[in-house]
Order: sequence, then C-alpha cells, then structure tokens
Amino acid sequence: MEKTTPNILIIGGGVAGIAAAQLFSDQDVIVHLVEKKPTLGGHAAMWACMATDTCQNCGACLSIEMAAQVQKQKNIILHLNTLIQTIHKETHGYTVGFENNETFCVEKIILATGFSPFNPSQINSLHYDAYKNVITSADLNTILRNETLSEYFKGKSNPKIAFIQCVGSRNREQGRDYCSQVCCKISMRHANKLIHLYPESDITLFYMDLQIIGKEIRPLFNTLSQNIDLIQGVPAEILENTETNMLTIVAEDKETQSRVSKAFDLIVLSVGMQPAQSLEAPNGMPAGILDLKPNSWGFFNTDQAALAKDVVIAGCANGPKDILSSIQEGRVAAAKVIEDLGLTPKDQLPIAVLGQGAQADKIINAFSSKGYATYLFGSGTGQTNDRKIISISGTAGNFSLYYESENEKKNLTCAAIVAAFEPEPSLNRLGSLKNDSLSLDAFSQMLEEAPDTCPKDNIILLDYFGPEIKSFARLALETAIKAKALGKNISIIMNKMLVHGALGQRLYDTARRQGVNFFRFETREDLQFEDSGTGFLIKLKEATLPSIELNLNCDGLILPPSLTPAKGFKDAAALLRQPLDKEGFLQSANIRHRLTQSPRKGIFFAGTCHDETDKDDLNNEINDILSALSTESFELPQTKIGVDTGVEINQKKCAQCLTCIRVCPHSAIVMNEKNRPQIVPDACFSCHLCVSNCPAYAIESKTFTNDQIAQKIEKDKMVILACERSAALAAGSLTLPDHITLIPIPCACRISSDIILKALLNGASKVMISGCHEENCRSMEGSHIAEASMKQVLNIPEMDASKVVWEPIAANESKKFEHIISKG
Amino acid sequence: MDTAIINKESDLYKMLNQFELGDNISECLTCGACNSRCTWFDGEGGPLPRQIIRMAALGLDEQLVNSNMLWDCLLCNRCTQGCPMGISMDKVVRKARSLAIADDKISRDIKKGIKNRIELGDVNALTKDEFVETIEWLSEEFVDEVDDPKAEIPHDIKGTKLLYLPNPRELATSLLHLTAMAKLFYAIKETWTLSCHHTDVTNWAYFAGKDDLTKKMAMMVVEPAEELGVETLVLSECGHGYHTLKYLLEDIIGRKPGFEVVSMPELVLRYAQKGVLKFDPGVHPYKIAYHDPCNIGRKSGGYDAPRQLLSMICEGLVELTPNREDGICCGGGGGMLQDSTTTVKRMITGKPKANQMKATGLSHLAAPCLSCHRQLGELSDHYKLGIKVDTVAFLASEALIL
Repeated sequence: MEKTTPNILIIGGGVAGIAAAQLFSDQDVIVHLVEKKPTLGGHAAMWACMATDTCQNCGACLSIEMAAQVQKQKNIILHLNTLIQTIHKETHGYTVGFENNETFCVEKIILATGFSPFNPSQINSLHYDAYKNVITSADLNTILRNETLSEYFKGKSNPKIAFIQCVGSRNREQGRDYCSQVCCKISMRHANKLIHLYPESDITLFYMDLQIIGKEIRPLFNTLSQNIDLIQGVPAEILENTETNMLTIVAEDKETQSRVSKAFDLIVLSVGMQPAQSLEAPNGMPAGILDLKPNSWGFFNTDQAALAKDVVIAGCANGPKDILSSIQEGRVAAAKVIEDLGLTPKDQLPIAVLGQGAQADKIINAFSSKGYATYLFGSGTGQTNDRKIISISGTAGNFSLYYESENEKKNLTCAAIVAAFEPEPSLNRLGSLKNDSLSLDAFSQMLEEAPDTCPKDNIILLDYFGPEIKSFARLALETAIKAKALGKNISIIMNKMLVHGALGQRLYDTARRQGVNFFRFETREDLQFEDSGTGFLIKLKEATLPSIELNLNCDGLILPPSLTPAKGFKDAAALLRQPLDKEGFLQSANIRHRLTQSPRKGIFFAGTCHDETDKDDLNNEINDILSALSTESFELPQTKIGVDTGVEINQKKCAQCLTCIRVCPHSAIVMNEKNRPQIVPDACFSCHLCVSNCPAYAIESKTFTNDQIAQKIEKDKMVILACERSAALAAGSLTLPDHITLIPIPCACRISSDIILKALLNGASKVMISGCHEENCRSMEGSHIAEASMKQVLNIPEMDASKVVWEPIAANESKKFEHIISKG
Repeated sequence: MDTAIINKESDLYKMLNQFELGDNISECLTCGACNSRCTWFDGEGGPLPRQIIRMAALGLDEQLVNSNMLWDCLLCNRCTQGCPMGISMDKVVRKARSLAIADDKISRDIKKGIKNRIELGDVNALTKDEFVETIEWLSEEFVDEVDDPKAEIPHDIKGTKLLYLPNPRELATSLLHLTAMAKLFYAIKETWTLSCHHTDVTNWAYFAGKDDLTKKMAMMVVEPAEELGVETLVLSECGHGYHTLKYLLEDIIGRKPGFEVVSMPELVLRYAQKGVLKFDPGVHPYKIAYHDPCNIGRKSGGYDAPRQLLSMICEGLVELTPNREDGICCGGGGGMLQDSTTTVKRMITGKPKANQMKATGLSHLAAPCLSCHRQLGELSDHYKLGIKVDTVAFLASEALIL
C-alpha cells in the first residue's frame, strides 16, 4: 500500500499549540495549525516582559520567538483567523470543516484551546467596571507592554498599589474551587517589576496562601518580601473615597486588633484562569463538536473528564498552568501523536542516568520501557552499583563517560545524559525537645503498614524549617486525610498551604471537611514547643486569632524533611559543565532551557535535583525528555550531517590556544582525533561567541564577520546590532525611520569592541547593541559580553558616552524598542 | 493573653458541622474576605468576622461567648456574602448566642421582650384589651381621616382576604403609621383585619439564636392566621419579621403555612400595578434615597418591590453606594436596636451608614423597615444630616389618591 503523509490538526495557536507544532518539524507529517485570532502566541504573546535588571523567567518572550519560527516551518499549514465549523469522526481519523467550507482529513487532533482570564465584573463589590484604577493582572500586562502605567498615578512617584490574589479562583460557591496556580507567580513578578519602575512605590500584596513554588520564585520572594507588605487575607470589596479619589480596602490590622481602611492609587486583581470561552459554551466549539467531556470546571485535569479517541490535550485547556509548563505539555502531546503514528525512531539509543533513589529508578524504568538502553550511575532503590564518573566528554549523541567501577576504569558512549541526583534529605528535629518527633515519610508509611502503632493525636508542622516544598505539602494533606479516616486526630500547622493547582485544592478542601485542623503561624516566634509526658505541648499564637494563645497537645509531632542541595551537586555541575542555580540546585533558571534541558545539548535534568517536582511533574519531565530524544537528532555515531551552523574553524589560523573550547557555552567544541579543536555542528547553537573571542581570528563566520557587519553600516546613521531572538523580534513589526540601520545578529555575544569601533569609524552616528535581558540569553553570556564590550569602548579616552549604548530588549518589548529609538 | 485548648466536641462545633452538602464551618479557607466586608470599621473596634468563625471552628465556645464580637455583630451577613465556602455569619453568630453558657450575656431588654412575647403574646406586654381599645379608638379617628363614615380599622374578623400584622411600635409610639397603613387598605378595597391574637410582627428570639422560641413565636402568628382563614398575611415593614415570617418561615415551622405572606410594600405594589391604587408623586417633589434593610435585601432577596413602589411615589429613587447585596446595615441590626443600652454604640455602628446617607446630598431617605427607620432617623439627628427618614409604605400612603 502506498504510504501517505499523515495530517495532524492542532487547535489553538498559543504556546502549547505552537510547541506541539514545532516538535513535528523534522517529521513526515502535515500539521494544520488553527487559530481563531489573526496572530499566533495566544495569551503569552500579550504578556509584558517582567525583566528588571535581570530576566524573571516568566517565558512570555518565548511565545514571540516560537511564533516567528513556526511561521517558517515547512510542514505547517497555518489557518489564522479561522474557526472550525465541524469535526466529523470517520472510521480512521476526522474530517475537519472550516467556516469557509474548506474541509480536510486528519488522523490526530491536539486540543490546545487555552484559557480565558476570569472576568471580575461578575463580582460587584470589586467595582472593576466602575473604577478605572481597579484593573486585572491581564490589564496590567497590557499597560506595562504599552508603557502607559504613569496614566494611573497622576504624576505620583510613590504610588500605593495593592494586589489582590485569588480573584475568581478557589471559590466553591462560584464553581471554581481550584487554585489557578500561576497568579501568585504573576503578581510577585508584577510587584517586582513595579518596584523596578517606581522604586518609591508602596506595594501591598493580599494573598490567601502565597504559592511560593519553584526555583525562580523562591529567590524572587526572598527579595520581594523585604520590599513589599504581605498580608494574609484577600479583601472582597473595593470602595472609592469620593473626597480623596483613592481606592479603599478594609483589612485586618494585627497590631491594633481591628480592621483598618487602607487607601491605594491602583488595585490589581490577580485573576484566575478558566477554560477558554469556546470550550465553555454548551454546544460550543470544539468540545461540543468533538464530543469531549470536560470536568465540572471545564478542564480535562481530573478523572471526570474524558477525551475522544485520537485527541490529545495540551496546555491550559487541560487545567491552569504557566507558560513553560504549557510549552512542555505541547511537546509531550506532539510526542504522543508521533508515537501513536508509529513514527518514533526505533534506535536503541544508550542513555546514562546519573543519580540515585526512587526518581532515578523511575527514569530508568520509563526509558527502558521505550526501548532505550539505560545505564545508571548511582544507586536506585532496587539496584546499587559503584560506578563513579571521572569525566564526561563529547557532545549529544556521542558523550563519552569515563568512570571507575570494580576497581577498573571504563568508558561508556551514550547519546544523552539525564541528571537525577537526590538532594540532601535532611531530617528535621526540634533541638530543645527530649521526645522524638517523627518524619512525615515515616509517619505516612506507619499509617499504611501498622496504623495501630501510630499515635492518636498528631500534629504535622510545615514551613517551620524554611519555606515548604510543594510535594511535602501535598504529602501532608494526603497523610492527614488518611490518618483521619483511620480515626486519628490530626492537625497541620503551617504558614501557608501550597495547594498549587486543582488537585491540591481538592485535597485541602477534603481535609478540612473531614475535620483536619489547620493552624497558621506568621513567624517561628509564634510557636513554642515543650515536652509533655511522652508527647508534646505546642503553644501557638495563631495568625487568625492573635489574641488567644492556643495550647495544642499531641503524641506525635510530624516533621517533613528539608530539601537542600546535596554536597555532590557542585561536583556534578562541574562534571556536566553546567552552572548551579541561585540556591545551589542543578540547572540555571534560564527559561531558554527550562524545564528539562540545558545549554549543552543532550544533557537533561529531572526531578528534585533541579527543581521542586512532585510525582506528576516528574512524569511530565520524563515525557518531555523522551519527546526530545525521539524527535531531535541523537544518532550514534553521528550519521546525520549537522545543520549549517555558519561558523567554521580555519585550522590554518588556529593557534590551538583552546579559548574556544573554554568559552563555548554549549560545550560544542571538542578536540578531534588530530588534537585540534572542532565545532560539532549538531551541538552548536550558532551563537558566535567563539568567533568574537578567538584571539587569532581563526573562527570564521559565513555571514557575520566583522567586515560583513561593517559593510552594512552607513555614514551618519544609527546602527542597532540586535539579537535575533530578542531585540530583532521586538523590532520585527515596526517600520524603522530612515536614519536607523538594524543589523540582526545571532546573539549579543557576537559583539566585540572591534565591531563597535569599526561601526564608529565607518561613520555611524550611534551604536546601540540590544539583546536579551541578563540571565535570559540562550547562550548564557550574550548580555554580559555585549555590555562588557560596550564598556571597553567607552573606556577609550575622549569617547563620547552617548555614542555607544547597551539596551536589553526582550522579544515582547516592541513598545520599549519604539520608545528607545524615538529618543534617537 | 488568653490561653485556650481547642475542642472538637464543643456544642457549637457540633451544631455547625452537620451539613452533608458542605457549608460546614470547619471548611473555612481562612481567606479573610469576611474581614474586608464587615462595615464596623475605621478604627472604631468592632468584630473581626474571621475571628468569630475561627473560634467557632476550633470549638473555643467560651472565648467566643466572652468576646464582645459575638454581641456586637449586627447579623447583617454582609461579611459572608460571597464566602467561597458558603458559610453564613448569621447562622454562626445565632448558634453561638444560643449556647447555654451564653445565656447570661443576652441583653436584659431582649430577654424581657422574649418573655413578654411568649408569656403575654406581645413584646411590649400589650394586653388584648389594650390592643382592642387602641384599635377601636384609632378606627374612630380614621373616619375623619378618610372622610368616610363607613370607614373603619377592623379587627378579629374571620374570613377576610387580608390580615395585617403590625409592628409593636405601630401600637405604641407610631400610631400614625398604623393609620397610614389603614388608609392603604381602605384604598385597596379588599376585606382586611387585624387580630388581637397576634399583634406582633417581631421575633426577638431570632436575635438570641433560640430556635425553639423562634418557632414558637412564628407559630403564634401562623396558627391564629390559619384560624381566621385569611388568604394573605401582610407583614408590617420589619426586616427580621420579613426574614423569619416570609423567607425562613417554612424552615422554621417545618411546613407550608395555610396562607400567602407578603410585606406591606409588596402588597401595595401589587395593587398599584393592578391599577387599584393611584399615587400622586408630586406629593414628594424631590428625590428619595433608598436603604436596603439587610434582612429584607441581602438575607431574603427582597430588593425590588420597595424600589419599584418608591419610584412611583416621588420624583425619583436614588441608590446609596454600595447597595443591594453590598448594602450597609443601618447599624441597629442583630438585636442592637432592641437593647436600650446601645444608644451610644449604635451611633458608632451606624457611622458608615451615616456617611453613605450624607454622600447622597439628599434630604429624604426611605426604608421598608420600622427598625431601620428608627435607627436611620437617630443617625440623621446625631450626625446632623438633616435627612428626613420614612418607611416606603408610609410615603405611599401619603402619596395615595383617594
């Protein structure tokens, strides 16, 4: 039978849909990407850049870059401004009909219809429609993007601003008893951005349970908590003081034990996510057409929901999630389609898993079941080995692990490496007490195995030894519910409950309904512990009842462990040539490589070694890595001729100083068999850092040589050297005035003082270098290098400082770009 | 600082955690929304609603009973309007007030009123003879009032269509109000009566959370009305009377009553819409602000009838801001107005209302509740607002074209 190219339908051109489409780029399929709006990128493309001096890792700018890339992808048929009219189930696949009567057949459908922000007009007491300065977080994004924030402050440099969390989330009475998961992060980033823009602003954030989750957010929170007021309790009413025109909120004042009225210039309602309106309509599109059964919230993230055959769901249609997770889900959905179509390569690529414990086991099992040959370096729960890695060399598809085992030194060649080390599991205990507390894991296990031996009255203490990790919060809830069902008394003392999403909220609701007590504390000083017989007495100044000291007695005091970076993380990072993050965990927070990838192709991270992940997250990460392995080239040995990277080492000029090997942020330059540096095309990201740095000018670029760039420079014109991934994209839609020449460059790290000087000597009136915000450069160092080169030039005596400038501009900062060039 | 031990076996905890469909107090999310919606604010002290809920949820009955918050609460239910877990402050506070340990905290006036009602049939201890005498004297005056020798204020007539249940104040300090109502009945031209058996629309046991007595008082209205065989029971303008005798009646007495229940403004509106009653809005040639009594509006959903009626009888209705489900209590709710020791406090609890009234810039305000009416009038005097306060039905009576 003649083989036909399968057609795939992706409904929704937001980040999940685009990410799915991109995964098909090397596959023999035709992708129909349908989007009802005229542009791609969905909500993320409407979001503002949250960067202050550094990138805040929100991922919004990726949507612009992804949209630009997907438009060039050959096997995609884009249907913008298009609504689907009909989808008919056929014996094999579906027939899809558009409103314009166009029809075609597809084998599989990826549903990525996204979300709609909650509309607060439904809550009268917030007066969203009546008061101009009551806005939503979505509005704030628009305002920040358009740079019109000052209009809301009447010239004040010290505006008072409030954020109110959980508007439209966590409300059973309104049928939305789920946590929207992203709003706390968004508000924290927003608050941080506002402080950056208005350093004298006075910001208050009203929250229910601040969801401080993830490696990007914990350090952000630590800084932010020094600079803003945080108040537990979400006001449900906003009024306007007609005399002062200020917005007022009534809130509890802990010190005076009364409620006080607080005045604000601007109030931001942090609105939750609900399913896209198109999914909500009873016979709407496309849930009605496809015969999908969403759950009572309208999502597909619980067992109540059912998908139709050959339909895979991705992104926020499946439940609230952030940009990076949506991208991940899009990729995973596409990988599933590729697998279902039988297109997955059958090569048994060897994969090395570095780490130990249950997570490493799980990864090994998942990879083995997909046909990969897996090698564990470390010890799983079932097997142990003494393999100790000495060095890792090579590139993706051809890594060479040199290790010692059974007193012998050995070599393993593998296609990819997954780092899945265990963090230091430090058991907590209260030093001043004689009686022993229990660890949360141990208690949970005891309940399972020998409930009769469990203490009768129990207290689980969260957040006491540092901010809680979401998986322990989850385990605490599950354990408490189990304990209650077994007739135990159980309470949870916490600073906040990390419900994080729909299922966590559901567990929290169940636990309260079943009579688990929850107590809040603000600081450690609110708690005192004493031994009491064989048990404990806890004296608690409860945050919601500050005038009463509660005496809580228990036989079992249960403490979750703290997760801290293991001692070995530093060595592992050195071995992998990957930086640690701010807290000492693996993988830098750079969103270009989050959630599982690294700047060094073929090196992946999974599990708690790089972020706080629960069971579901780990599954997603495994699937994400599998999706990369099955769709990108990891052949062993390198059979495929790598893509043209545009850079080449001229071996005649090379002095073998090895600078390039040292500086390459992607570890893509290796010593070849002739002991000469060689660029491995498949691992190269074409950033050109080696070109800028080679002291012998031996690394040549095909299109971005100093001379080629210099040729484009015109006398008396301002030249903008703009990174293709950020500033050039921001400029993309703008018509530039005649006095400006924009030269796209692959990365700001292509810049050197040579280029700047050449531009000035050629008569450029001004040189502006523009790239990603710090910590968002895909090649890690671009913004540093560009800034350093600029400073080098400015250090030249009598150099006019206004002639050379560095401006970080993200892909979603078109307005900022316009603003900067308008100043000349 | 007080110390306390939590008690999940407490009486209050058990009472508030028995609902299969949720809305149990132990489900409180501690979201704090209620704290922002209580209108007792601006540094004047007053309750922190979340603390009330938390004390109840942790079984701290004694602390709650000893806290002023429990007794300062106006039962306006504004705080828990929109509670994400469906908790109702009204229910929590009344159950807490009903605890045996709370008994000696209940105000003497409320206790006395309850005792009078249960033992003597009237909250003010008005006897049946006194009632009959008052009504008959009023009836004689009424002939002159409407200039009709056949006109009367009837009482204890069986088989009439309508039965009017007055507010005790209409039989004591506000006789004019009763006459005004009689004038409306006269114009409605349906058979109607008063009854010496149930002179009283109030139910003070409701403020004290005494469910058994609340039921008993309700039955003191229901049984004689059924005995008389009336079609419709017409309630005098009274907030908690409306809430207990209309909105909650079936829950309280556990069955359907043998008659329909409407409030006076609802009845008047009905006959106005039928074209039976005609009004001259020119009698009130000015705009009148409208106050939502919490018990009628937020707690019973009776937002619209009084508004519709008011807009027919004056130059126009002006809304207070905020209003309807976000309306602010007059400051006399929850039994406070019925307690003679709260005169000073009521001016504090009523300050947000006074501010709201002042913001209208008007000189007239209407409320379909005689309790609100009294409190709002006192607020107007105390804060020198110069606002004349009337009930909606009284204004309708004034504008009536006979």
